[in-house]
Amino acid sequence: MTTSTDIAIVGWAHTPLVRHTDQSETQMLLHAITDAITPLGLTRADIDFTCLGSCDYITGQAFSFVSNLDAIGAWPPKRDSHVEMDGAWALYEAWLRLQEGDIEIAVVTGSGRSSTGDPALIYPMEMDPYFLAPLGADPLTFAALQARAVIDAGIATERSMAETAVRARGKGDVDELLGEEYLRTPLRRHDVPPITDGAAAMVIATGDRARQLVERPAYITGMDHRTECHNPSFRALDDSPSVRIAADALGLRNTPVEIAELQTAFTHEELLLRHVLDLGDDVAVNPSGGPLRANPIMASGLCRIGYAADHIFGGGTRALAHSTSGPCLQQNLLCLVEGRS
Amino acid sequence: MARLVESTITFPYRRSLGPVVGAFMTALTEMRILGTRSGDAVLVPPMEWDPRTGAELGNDLVEVGPSGTVESWTWVPNPSAQHPLAQPFAFAFIRLDGATTPLLHAVDAGSPNAMSVGARVAPRWRGERVGAITDIVCFVLGESAEIEGTDAGPASEPVTRMDYEASITYRNPVPVSADRVIEASQEHRLLGQKCPVCERVYAGGRGYCPIDAVELGEGHEVDLSDVGTITNFSIVTPVQYPGQTETEPFVRAFVLLDGSDVILSYQPVIELPATDVRVGQRVVAVWASPAEDSDEGGAMGGTYGRLIGWMPNGEPDIDDPDLVNRIF
Ligand SMILES: [Zn+2]
Repeated sequence: MTTSTDIAIVGWAHTPLVRHTDQSETQMLLHAITDAITPLGLTRADIDFTCLGSCDYITGQAFSFVSNLDAIGAWPPKRDSHVEMDGAWALYEAWLRLQEGDIEIAVVTGSGRSSTGDPALIYPMEMDPYFLAPLGADPLTFAALQARAVIDAGIATERSMAETAVRARGKGDVDELLGEEYLRTPLRRHDVPPITDGAAAMVIATGDRARQLVERPAYITGMDHRTECHNPSFRALDDSPSVRIAADALGLRNTPVEIAELQTAFTHEELLLRHVLDLGDDVAVNPSGGPLRANPIMASGLCRIGYAADHIFGGGTRALAHSTSGPCLQQNLLCLVEGRS
Repeated sequence: MARLVESTITFPYRRSLGPVVGAFMTALTEMRILGTRSGDAVLVPPMEWDPRTGAELGNDLVEVGPSGTVESWTWVPNPSAQHPLAQPFAFAFIRLDGATTPLLHAVDAGSPNAMSVGARVAPRWRGERVGAITDIVCFVLGESAEIEGTDAGPASEPVTRMDYEASITYRNPVPVSADRVIEASQEHRLLGQKCPVCERVYAGGRGYCPIDAVELGEGHEVDLSDVGTITNFSIVTPVQYPGQTETEPFVRAFVLLDGSDVILSYQPVIELPATDVRVGQRVVAVWASPAEDSDEGGAMGGTYGRLIGWMPNGEPDIDDPDLVNRIF
């Protein structure tokens, strides 16, 4: 979907992305929101709409998003919404909301403390409840099966996956990494994301307001998300039709981007999406290091969009950001941001 | 590093299965595996709708397998508590004979060296089958199906529901200010925090003012009265869901503390029949003795430490029709 109303990212912030924090999700959000709005000269009273992305299963508390509202200063009462999704989908909702034209500024967040529980035990609950959850089918297993499909299709090799890991983390030696034991064949530890606690907050505004707030807004010129069947049994794991459709909807074929920030938590996912999106060697993929460097669950996708916006703030022309949800890249969101001279 | 509190939450789900999955699960108790036709394809596991187009399928079920071929696999060297096998095993996409799509299941192969794409596998059935995907313990290498334990036979009636339960242990840090509230409760003190911006007072150690989004700490602490007035209440008739320990109707009351705007919500009322609780009633805090300390630190999940509830203090009721509106 593309839009005629100018809506732009004007700022964002994230908490330290760490293996374990003593802060609650609400405390992390408190800091992330303050850090996102303060440099813009805004206070919480200036925010017309908020949308928060988080997951009760990860927090281990029903309605955990209700206490997260404490971070937005929700008095007098505010327009607010929540998605049980990565903050990237919260941005999608806020982007739609601003298009109604009656309000100007929205804040979206993504937050999660993955150090709280064991992801290998939590994620099976989100799988098919009849055939997959009772087997404890975990995300690492599905990632491994997809990696095998991607390797069999000639899109990746264990070596190119290790190279991806070294580039993302800025450390390690490919030959040494390839000598390590398998975690789940064909995945080794370096192919797998770290467990990360963190939160991110982003401010978006309609055209004129955005231009008042910053010199160079990152205009959202297109956003689209598509989903595939919930059970990987029925999908071609060496392809990503949902990414393909979303990319076509954004006209990506005819709009070259300088960088692409992809929520590819596993090395083979980056190689697969690079292939599906047909990104040339001139496109820098995940200059931030991507989720392989820091993977704050429920905020990782929103961070991708934030880093794409940073590219525009820094003088870049066009950047692509991607977020995903579900096993084997089941659901995918693409967001195109642009700067104007 | 903050103190971590560990809590294990179980998620018990009972699901209705519908005509297609129900038939599949019923067939499993008969040691048969069903797929569903979609055009020329046979989908396993069977679906009510075509996964590609969303078109409703005709519920045209057909028997497949029980043997099949490994299409892809990954080795699981350290199984989790939720996995089908305790020893290292393979998760594999298994294309059952006659099926077009692969079923995910475990293969008890002993070693990754025994696994290969194209390997033939057959089910190891559970002796006591209930109509769940776990009626197949796992698959084994070769063409011969096995039964684990004594065969208890098929289900006597069609299977229409299934139970699923996950158990997750969470470890959450306890905010320092929450610990200070629990500590103060040992001296029978009710601790609050006062926001320096809006001057609102909050009970418990939440650690920030939600109106102004500023952090509150030790410097913002204030002592709250342990005498108050019931502003509103509800009599709860317990529903016997898993984990419910109450059996008789009980009261949860909202208490406005003297000398402040602080309301403690959802408070137990002690030594008073539920039917005698009134709006306007004057009450005083009841504290547990150290001997009654639990791991959680007291009543209501430990927010106020040794505070276990409220009882009448003998003073006359306050007659204010506005009181009932004070619940926050
Ligand atoms: Zn305040």
